[in-house]
Amino acid sequence: MIQIQSEAWQAIVSHAQAIYPNECCGAMLGTIDGDVKTVKVGLAIENAFTGVQHERYELRPEDLLKADREARSRGMDLIGIFHSHPDCDAYFSETDLKNSCPWYSFVVLSIYKGQFHHANSFLPNAEQTEAPKEELKY
Amino acid sequence: MTKILIPTPLRQFVDKKDTVEVTGSTVGEALNALTAAHSELKKHLYNDEGKLRSFVNIYLNDEDIRYIKKEATPLADGDTISIVPSIAGGR
Ligand SMILES: [Zn+2]
Repeated sequence: MIQIQSEAWQAIVSHAQAIYPNECCGAMLGTIDGDVKTVKVGLAIENAFTGVQHERYELRPEDLLKADREARSRGMDLIGIFHSHPDCDAYFSETDLKNSCPWYSFVVLSIYKGQFHHANSFLPNAEQTEAPKEELKY
Repeated sequence: MTKILIPTPLRQFVDKKDTVEVTGSTVGEALNALTAAHSELKKHLYNDEGKLRSFVNIYLNDEDIRYIKKEATPLADGDTISIVPSIAGGR
């Protein structure tokens, strides 16, 4: 289960709405206690995809490295990645699965007409062949 | 000694540590020392051909080793190795 604290959630949603109609992306920092992941910080990261960003996103590894260092310096962990689907539901696409990393929770936000609509979290398996849903609370 | 920073989800394979210290004169040797000591970790970093998995990037301090000498990149005392994934997507 992944729960996103309200301040972090507001930061993530407002970033997704601000970047609309493009896809936004970012990192989620927080803590893990047994099966419960708690996101305390939503860190916006620049979408580095070169080309039309309405349907694609890409994170620079050096930006993820910075996010990991920030988490460590604040006594937290990098526990997930978020991105948005403008004018489209929050599913985990084939492209999402193929370019994911089977180590993190992936939260997808559906943004319709610039407004947050719904969200889901996914956990890609080690072989990157499927990504079952994970319970998400926000 | 070289420090290797372990990403959160992989710490379960290294006795829950967030950093592992190893010895080695190159990045490749340091990574081999890491996976030799923690064999469960190997399949998460390497594919069946023994190459780093496609989404795994290795940084020496602030630099991607792909742009230095890859796994032959020499290590100096006090260096830090980070394991950083490539992540992208699209609907
Ligand atoms: Zn997507």
